[in-house]
Amino acid sequence: LDQSFKTAADLQTAVNAAYSVIKSSSLVGREWFFVHDLRSDDVSTGGSQLEAPRAQILNGGTQPSNPVMNSVWNALYTAIHRANTAILKGPGVTDNPALRDRIVGEAKFLRGWAYFDLVSMWGKVPLYTLPVQSFSDSKPRSSVDSIYAQIIQDLKDAAGNLPGKSGYDAANKGRVTNAAANAMLGRVYMQKGDYASAKAALLLIPTTGADGYSLTARWLDNFEEEHEFNSESILEVIFVDKKTANFNWGGQSVGDVLNGNTELTTVRNQEYCPVAWRNLIPSDKLINEFENSGFGATKTDPRFSWTVYQSGDKYNNGAETLTDGDQNGNGSTFHGTAKKISWRKFMLMYKMSKSAMGFYPGGNNQRLIRYADVLLMLAECENELGNSAAAVGYLNQVRDRADVLMPHYPTAQYPTGTKDQVTKAIMHERSVELADEEVRNIDIMRWRIKGYYPSIAPEPLSYFQKNRDELLPIPQAELDNNPKVTGDQNPGY
Amino acid sequence: QNSKTVRGRVTDEKNAPISGASVTVKGSTKGTVTNSDGYYIIQAPTNGVLNISFVGYETKQAPVGAGETVNISLAPSNESLNQVVVVGYGTQRKASITGAIASVNSKTINELPVVSVDQALQGRVAGLSVVNNGAPGTQPIVAIRGISSISFASDPLYVIDGFPTGNISSFDSRDIESVEVLKDASAAAIYGSRATNGVIIITTKKGARDSKLHVNLDTYIGMQSPGKKLDLLNTNQYKTYERMINGSAGIAMPPRFLDSNFNKPIYAGANQTYAQTNTDWQDEYFVNNALMTQTNVSVSGGNSASRFYSSGGYLKQDGIAQGLGYERGNFRINSEHTISKVFTFGENLYMAFGNQRFDNNATATSGNRTRLMNVVRMQPYLPVYDPTTLGGFRGPLNSFDGADPTNPVELALIGSNTIKTLKVLGTAYLDVNFTSWLKFRSTFGVDYSNAYTQQYTPIYNDGGTLSASLATINNQRQIYSTLLFTEQLTFDKTWNQHHLNVTGVFERQGQKYWNETATGNQGTNEIRTLNGASNINANATYQENLIVSLLGRLNYDYAGKYFVSAAIRRDGLSIWAPGHKYGNFPSASVGWRISQEQFMKSSKLISELKLRAGYGLTGLNGLLLNNNYPWFAAVQTNQAIYPFGDGTSPNSSFTNTLGNKDLEWEKTKQYNVGIDLGLLNNKITLTADYFVRQTDNLIYQLPTPPTYGFGVNGVLSNVASMRNNGFEAQLGYHHNQSAFKWEVSGLVTVIRNKVLSMNTPTASLTAGGDADFGGGDPWTYTTVGQPIQQFYGWKTAGIFQTAAEVSSSPTQVAGKTAPGDIKFQNINTKDNVINSDDKTYLGSFLPKFTYSFNGNASYKNFDFSILFQGVQGNKIVNGVRIIEEGMVRLFGSGTRVLDSWTPNHTNTDMPRAFSGDPNQNARPSDRWIEDGSFLRLKNVMIGYNVPVTRLNSLTRGTVSRFRIYVSSQNLFTVTKYKGWDPEIGSKNGTLTNGIDYGQYPIARSFQVGLQVGFN
Repeated sequence: LDQSFKTAADLQTAVNAAYSVIKSSSLVGREWFFVHDLRSDDVSTGGSQLEAPRAQILNGGTQPSNPVMNSVWNALYTAIHRANTAILKGPGVTDNPALRDRIVGEAKFLRGWAYFDLVSMWGKVPLYTLPVQSFSDSKPRSSVDSIYAQIIQDLKDAAGNLPGKSGYDAANKGRVTNAAANAMLGRVYMQKGDYASAKAALLLIPTTGADGYSLTARWLDNFEEEHEFNSESILEVIFVDKKTANFNWGGQSVGDVLNGNTELTTVRNQEYCPVAWRNLIPSDKLINEFENSGFGATKTDPRFSWTVYQSGDKYNNGAETLTDGDQNGNGSTFHGTAKKISWRKFMLMYKMSKSAMGFYPGGNNQRLIRYADVLLMLAECENELGNSAAAVGYLNQVRDRADVLMPHYPTAQYPTGTKDQVTKAIMHERSVELADEEVRNIDIMRWRIKGYYPSIAPEPLSYFQKNRDELLPIPQAELDNNPKVTGDQNPGY
Repeated sequence: QNSKTVRGRVTDEKNAPISGASVTVKGSTKGTVTNSDGYYIIQAPTNGVLNISFVGYETKQAPVGAGETVNISLAPSNESLNQVVVVGYGTQRKASITGAIASVNSKTINELPVVSVDQALQGRVAGLSVVNNGAPGTQPIVAIRGISSISFASDPLYVIDGFPTGNISSFDSRDIESVEVLKDASAAAIYGSRATNGVIIITTKKGARDSKLHVNLDTYIGMQSPGKKLDLLNTNQYKTYERMINGSAGIAMPPRFLDSNFNKPIYAGANQTYAQTNTDWQDEYFVNNALMTQTNVSVSGGNSASRFYSSGGYLKQDGIAQGLGYERGNFRINSEHTISKVFTFGENLYMAFGNQRFDNNATATSGNRTRLMNVVRMQPYLPVYDPTTLGGFRGPLNSFDGADPTNPVELALIGSNTIKTLKVLGTAYLDVNFTSWLKFRSTFGVDYSNAYTQQYTPIYNDGGTLSASLATINNQRQIYSTLLFTEQLTFDKTWNQHHLNVTGVFERQGQKYWNETATGNQGTNEIRTLNGASNINANATYQENLIVSLLGRLNYDYAGKYFVSAAIRRDGLSIWAPGHKYGNFPSASVGWRISQEQFMKSSKLISELKLRAGYGLTGLNGLLLNNNYPWFAAVQTNQAIYPFGDGTSPNSSFTNTLGNKDLEWEKTKQYNVGIDLGLLNNKITLTADYFVRQTDNLIYQLPTPPTYGFGVNGVLSNVASMRNNGFEAQLGYHHNQSAFKWEVSGLVTVIRNKVLSMNTPTASLTAGGDADFGGGDPWTYTTVGQPIQQFYGWKTAGIFQTAAEVSSSPTQVAGKTAPGDIKFQNINTKDNVINSDDKTYLGSFLPKFTYSFNGNASYKNFDFSILFQGVQGNKIVNGVRIIEEGMVRLFGSGTRVLDSWTPNHTNTDMPRAFSGDPNQNARPSDRWIEDGSFLRLKNVMIGYNVPVTRLNSLTRGTVSRFRIYVSSQNLFTVTKYKGWDPEIGSKNGTLTNGIDYGQYPIARSFQVGLQVGFN
């Protein structure tokens, strides 16, 4: 390590290595979306095809040896290690200071992003800010506050060093921006309960100009391959369509090159698709959350049929019709009626045939933060800061999207007379707008800390036990091999 | 009495001098021994009688008579102690051996029709374990005196005609003169840093000096079949089971089972419906009566100046499963020429071409969803073939069939997977005989192998789980080239009662390794090469390493009674960090041949008694690390990508491990004491040894905490210690005195293994976890104080019969457990919950003892031999049974699932069938652990020799030998094990030995063979 990463070009390879982990099958390419979804109430099991370790998380029986959870933990720290390498070596690079600063900014963003996942899901975790170079560098678990402090510092540094999206040429599209850093900063502050700082950070995201963000006119643009990097997309993980080449299950666990054919795909389509494995399906709770004119709402939310597929829906550009028999496994109960319902978000079925779908991984980019989320975060900030009217305004902006056009709040179902009522509307709007976008579990944790369960809504996780299920267990491999963590398990495990 | 000086020479039956033979005057105390050329001088009375004896020969008496010269030729005795044993950098008479060395002769090696020498050694040597591992052509697991390393394979070092080499599967065992197994450190330490796992020395035939040409034909042909079938669900049973497992969990019947679908033709135009189809996937995948044949023709001969042995061989062994097989052609020429009294030149040259068709789903990277697993999981109502699909096979449609196994026959046959190997092993040597007692040998050798792996998958689509829209070509070429130089000086002199042999060697062995891979896709099935292919990826690497050695050995014996041997080898190996490249490996041993003492010579009972003791330090072959820079943490340059923006994938670099400059050889201390006993003129022989082997600096990947961010990589470190101690014995009875000759021998090996320390007292290494085989929890634990890789999991205590029993018992899986589920024991009683604290040790794959029994008999022109081989007291994780009976979700299963618990059928040990396995009944537990003991009739053979007189008259003397035989291998196996075969491998070094993930069973085979000798 001493003799490496001496030029800005070298340093760039170091930060690229961190990106490669994030797209890997251990993170956004597979296990990351599983862990986030399984820890939320957005999903139910699609049936017995859901493998045991995944079912374990969904049912709240997560063991410290759970391989799915461990993959995410390992890979987040792998991303941190690789980002740390770039951050450590940055000061020694002098041949292109501007590029160097941007790279260090990217590295700090990725590190902050990874630590936020860690601290929010596992609580106190070991905090490494330098690459490990000997066994004596092992770290114990740090306090949650100190981890948040590090994340905030990293994201602030990143926001300062990173350009807007127009600052990247075509070949560098997809690198993180100052807007992404500010959006993350907002999310992090909110999770800490610091809504004022969150609001300030979120308001730094430009809404106009070359670096500006706005809602897309068509809601589905956010989930289709043809509309990647649209005006709403603030943070995206890039995947490449490798056609029918099978997903490289073991090979790309941390994004390393092992098989040139397959390391660039995401397996989400294969895992969730109604006519493929259908491992997870939308929960009954979620499908009944959408406003429906048959059940008390003035208008049926169009986002429902864009979020999920039901039997009778057309797919493959309208060429095929989904049947109950196509959808392997469990059914759902939609307002008391048994139905087969499956995920549509991010699925490729909209343009592909059933026969092509079985083992098709896909290259649809995963949107991690989009502008609608920012608006909803701002709504929550304003409401928490006492500005309910401003909050409702942000909510209505989201409902005003050209093809959504839901009636403004307050509605009969969602009055906005009190702060709690607005909170309830925010909860609803986040649910239906952002279902299955891997933020629901973060929302649940935040609202649980605020005491909103059960004051505003019942605890969403049926298995929830206090002093246990707030957090995941520290992985067994960490307890076994890091003497400074040995014996320091989260409560209840 | 008149006394005079008598001279003479003592020779053996081939007229070669015998040195060290005892010459005494009968009735007196006078005696002497012959010198290295077999000569003696003694004072004896003219009417006296000389008594000439030598170990391994019949004692002879000769009257002195009138002449001055009395030459005596000794005939070999029944005992085998005169055997010359190859000991590494020299030979020794068996009588003077002080280490633990076993010899196996050519006849024994070639009794079994097997591909490689190590398979032929199974059950032949005490302390040597050979375990079948995988498909035909795959090397078995060979271990001498147990597993000595946690991380690396226990393969011994193979030395062929002085050349240390690796894989010997391309080697034709018909060329073998003898095999010596150096078991203890005092014997093996002459190979120093590579000797920890023992050494197997293979010596090839050289040709006799009888001035005749010998032509031999040795050929057999046979059939192999799998030995056992599992009871799997047929179509009707599968349909019943589907309702049992899915119905209980409220899962709708997959559309396939609706009558409207099930009664449809299996494909358009077929006159058979799914309901009428009943595919037996075992019958479809396994192959009965697979061909095996081997032929070897040799020509040999020689005279006092030159001798040679030349042979050609061909072997073909089809697999007992689809798409597998091994084929080999080989050629050898060995020759030796005495140029003058001083110079002798010789060479050995071997060339072989091998072609293995292998199972590419059985490799480590493809996980454990093997073809054999799919044999169990496939649906019986689906056909194997479907002419309407692209490629002609049929697979299930997950969403329609409700299960997604893959068609194993299709996996085996749709593409092709071959390894073509060219192997050349040659040595040339020059002997310089300065005097009768000082010799120098210079050897140069080359070991070249070129293995070309080609994997091809066409464009195909079975309409279900398997398809490819592009053909894939995946080629790999691995070239190993090793050069050996050995310079050896040997002093060997006998005077009076003393015999001294001193050997000094300088050796240099360098290996070069090229690895080239190329992959790509074709849009057509017409082109199976990379010409014009898309997505071409190519990579080439080159590495080399070097071992430089100095060694010295001293053997001394006095009067054939007292033996001392000492050796030291200093090895330098390039792969270690500076400062750790050299290591010293000393050894010493002593022997006392009590039977040569006067007080024992008169014993009628004891004809041979020798005590042996030895100590030595050996190393683990550093090349087993498979890394020429194992201590170095290189930046992984350009080893990851991310497709920014326009899809270009810029390079990414990172570090993913720590370096360890202190890494060094695993060094093993080994003590050995042994006894060789012969009774009743060696009618009964016994060799027994007790040994202790301890390694204090075992290497393993010291796991780094995941928070280091190195993925799963650990750091190779010398951090653990382990001990194997054991006992081995070989007992024989030989009856040669009549027309009915017979001998029996038995051997037994007992080894105990214990991990003494690891990096921390509580450290553990886990392995063997697989989501399909028990849900992903590891199957083995390696911890201090236990044998290596103990099986680990939960203990079961029957089945919950009532809801009350569930609620009054420790919580199993909260909210999920129901009557009919397995009740797991609460081992850790500090809480009332079944969790990972309740896992415990469930047994070991290591047997309590192994044994074999060998019998040979001949009566007139018939001969008969039999070999039983057994393993006792080991445990197996029957992973195949987890697939058969785990009932995790709908798949083809064993018929036992029909016996699963229901409220109306409670008298069973099968838990309820409930899709999703909510109680995790299939988790690692004693439910899947089985007794792996077995006794196998490894070989039985009956041969008939046409009488020589008849041969002479029939062939006018051209045919000297004509033997025909029939034999059978693995005719039956006595075992309680419920899987295909209890001989379970898994490569050692992976800590997953004894877990049956669906291993290829050993074949039952029958042969008929012919051996013809021409003069």
